[in-house]
Amino acid sequence: MAASGAYDVVVIGGGVTGAGIARDLSLRGLSVLILEKGDWGAGTSGASSWMIHGGPRYLEFDWDTTRLSTQDAGYIVTIARNFVSRVLFIIPVLPHDKNNIERMETAMEVYDRFQPLKHAHSHRRLTAEEARKAEPGLSPDIVGAVTMEEWGVDPHRLVFANIEDAIAHGARALNHARVTELIRDGGKVIGVRYRTPDGALEEARGRVVVNATGPWSPQVAAMAGVDVELRPAKGIHIVYPHRISNFSISAESVDGRDLLLVAHAGFTLLGTTDDDFYGDLESVDVLEDEVDYLIQAFERVFPSIRDYRPVRTTTGVRPTLFKWRRYEDELSRRYEVIDHAKEGADGFISIAGGKLSMYRLMAEETSDAVCRRLGHQAACATASRPLPGNEAEPEPAAVLASRCGIPALAAMKLQTRHGTNAEKVLDEGGTSRVLCRCEPVTEAELIYATRHEQVRTLADAFRRVGVAAGPCAGAACILRAAEVVGRELGWSASQRFEAAREFVRGAWLGRAPVLGHAGWAQEELAQGAMSSLMVSDGAR
Amino acid sequence: MARADSLAKLAFAYGVHLTWGRLRRPRRQLSGLLETYAQDGVRPLLATERERHPRLVNCINCGLCALAASRLGGTRLPDLASSYMRLYAGLGEASSDVEGDSPDLVAASAVCPVGLPLDEVAAVVRRLTTTR
Repeated sequence: MAASGAYDVVVIGGGVTGAGIARDLSLRGLSVLILEKGDWGAGTSGASSWMIHGGPRYLEFDWDTTRLSTQDAGYIVTIARNFVSRVLFIIPVLPHDKNNIERMETAMEVYDRFQPLKHAHSHRRLTAEEARKAEPGLSPDIVGAVTMEEWGVDPHRLVFANIEDAIAHGARALNHARVTELIRDGGKVIGVRYRTPDGALEEARGRVVVNATGPWSPQVAAMAGVDVELRPAKGIHIVYPHRISNFSISAESVDGRDLLLVAHAGFTLLGTTDDDFYGDLESVDVLEDEVDYLIQAFERVFPSIRDYRPVRTTTGVRPTLFKWRRYEDELSRRYEVIDHAKEGADGFISIAGGKLSMYRLMAEETSDAVCRRLGHQAACATASRPLPGNEAEPEPAAVLASRCGIPALAAMKLQTRHGTNAEKVLDEGGTSRVLCRCEPVTEAELIYATRHEQVRTLADAFRRVGVAAGPCAGAACILRAAEVVGRELGWSASQRFEAAREFVRGAWLGRAPVLGHAGWAQEELAQGAMSSLMVSDGAR
Repeated sequence: MARADSLAKLAFAYGVHLTWGRLRRPRRQLSGLLETYAQDGVRPLLATERERHPRLVNCINCGLCALAASRLGGTRLPDLASSYMRLYAGLGEASSDVEGDSPDLVAASAVCPVGLPLDEVAAVVRRLTTTR
């Protein structure tokens, strides 16, 4: 076993919170190692609704959470300005909804007080006729609507931007590196043992070890012999590969919950469910019942929802703080920084609970706790220091496109992922070829991601650059992507083939629950295009 | 306690809202709303386009249309038609992609395995990318 170094802090978990902590501590001048067992943002962060939102729902339970969440959302919107976009919700009211139009507008009037904190516009109230004009797909039964504004963000890019900045400030960051054990010295946690992507066991010492593993927190805490009590809740989303409504829409489910149809740039997320989860965190399946539950709710307000073909589902488990005797929906999204010294695990700190919109604040408070433990005095800089690619406005997409010989649409998309670094990305790849027409993704971006953004599998490429995220779900591009990534990483022909097959298998798990008639037609085409992947070992 | 406090504050806000509602006249807010979000490049589909929309987005990206259409000049239609119909906000920034003469979209539609009316798709894309 190799001893691979000593650090001030070892952070376990590469979701948005862990990445935020690694960035925060690196900016404060500490040496940091961050380890992620899968890929950056591949767990709960990536399975979110892709929103930095204030949470008007919490107004019913806890105004403080709404205030903290909108305030931190404001900071995130500022430091990641080229990665975020406004998401406008229309909240239609039907005659028998639990909240009538006056109550709904009251909630929005209250929420308007918090909106300036996150640089969002105030609500508007629309008559039924106005609402249907803005959103022609709405049900003729609605009696009126109010609007609400939130921010959209690609969580995978947000996580990686934090990792990138942490690395730029001296951190070491390893994905596909699973912690197998915490090293203890009496009542103190002094480091970790982890397995590297190539299977080797390594060891790293840390003066403090931070457990930022979201729903996996209890498992990691158990390695230190302490408890973190969560009430994990499963949530699923249905993904449509287009924007299917002009604006985002909120609707009430059969059991009175608020569901969201979120119109992001080029795709739509419909979600989410919220159910206690007791299963295996490594294998969270989507059930057809859950899909039906979501679609049924939206059919009431947006009847043409069933005419659209979903392309896949996503699922994740929220690391909600434990509370007995509450419905899942009523659980607080608060968080807790836990110093386990009192429980006999000195030097071990967990962060539990919370939500994506507050990740920066959670990271700040965890980093404060680490600094207190280390006696290190340095102020947090993450509220104002821009993430990489967000230091200035990017140039117009058409100008970048014409200079680099790519479609303006591809330039536009590239800028939403890299901001002002888009040209650097294209220069590195040295090609203007479009690799994935759906998104569209250039080959240069995938080359850059493989060289500089720790892409090690095709699923990593999907998260980092959006390859295979569009309507064809990879049928037209995954083999080409395997060639590009394989060339960069030195894969043999059979390794490229195996990588594509692994991606197809993984993607199938998310796609199977939503395949309708047209979906099966697409699947036939994909099977035809990739038949060689499925029959090579006779295991079709 | 936080729950009771929150509900009390909401109840008070509701009372204020109802009182104000009696005193002020409702105004139409749609045009203001659309103007606000036009700055972010959000261009809504029209009612007629909305009705046809589910039929316009079934592209499965097989690429046959691009072969059949004999693309002309610099226009990215029909090969990127599916991308444009994903309706990114800010499509106006990509208007240079669809400038120039249309290729043979009738021939392109004829070979489409899912029967996408590519001429209609092109019309919607052009409207969204060029409308100011």
